[in-house]
Amino acid sequence: MTAERVRRVLRENGLSLAFGAMFLVSLAGQALSGVAAFNEQQLSTGGEQISLGRYLLSSSFAADVAENWQSEYLQFFLYIFATVWLVQHGSTESKQVGEEGDGSDKEQRVGRYAQPDSPRWARLGGWREVVYSRSLGLVMLVLFIASWGAQSVAGWAAYNNDQLSTRQDPVTWADYLVAPDFWNRTLQNWQSELLAVGSMAIFAVFLRQRGSPESKRVGAPHQETSSDTS
Amino acid sequence: VNGTKAVFIGYLVLIVIGLVYFTALGMAHQ
Repeated sequence: MTAERVRRVLRENGLSLAFGAMFLVSLAGQALSGVAAFNEQQLSTGGEQISLGRYLLSSSFAADVAENWQSEYLQFFLYIFATVWLVQHGSTESKQVGEEGDGSDKEQRVGRYAQPDSPRWARLGGWREVVYSRSLGLVMLVLFIASWGAQSVAGWAAYNNDQLSTRQDPVTWADYLVAPDFWNRTLQNWQSELLAVGSMAIFAVFLRQRGSPESKRVGAPHQETSSDTS
Repeated sequence: VNGTKAVFIGYLVLIVIGLVYFTALGMAHQ
């Protein structure tokens, strides 16, 4: 790969790569601060100190990461599906009022309206078209369920560790699913995602960010809903 | 397009490895 081509790939994928890099830095930061916080707590309860390596293998670390992942994927899943059917007048995050629903085959360029450069599954019709037509939301849903599942298993192990260290009986996974700890971890993440999404949808009506595709053009009227109608 | 596809697959692989790892960690501690 030439230097020229590397530069081009980096530029064309700058958004995904920058966020991927920031994710890795944040995760490393979470691991470092997480082990420090864990050891601080151990000190106060007379437990043994653990290394970073052991912390990375702990259920406590796994549960902390997974509980945040699940809420992010829930947020995107809900947003992707909700915006098919719900609109917000004047928001760039929304279709126009009256455009609710999944659109005609012609609008969506599927089946016989597919073009030569359309994705293969959009051209094929049948079940493949049905699946591919919802693949973005479905992948988010699968990742949400998988990460919520991971949170439940890791959170359960972490919870039982605490139970044992305070000489209480461990609980079963089914018990943990109805335990306050599981729902506290879950809902504290959901509420923040839902607030952020709701406020983004309505803030985008009246506020602008020059140059961002998440915003209308600065001079666009408040009642204009979709950014591409200008 | 190939660079873009590599980023796409990279994200998917990263997420799947993470999910398998966290689930396995939880199970290993039982």
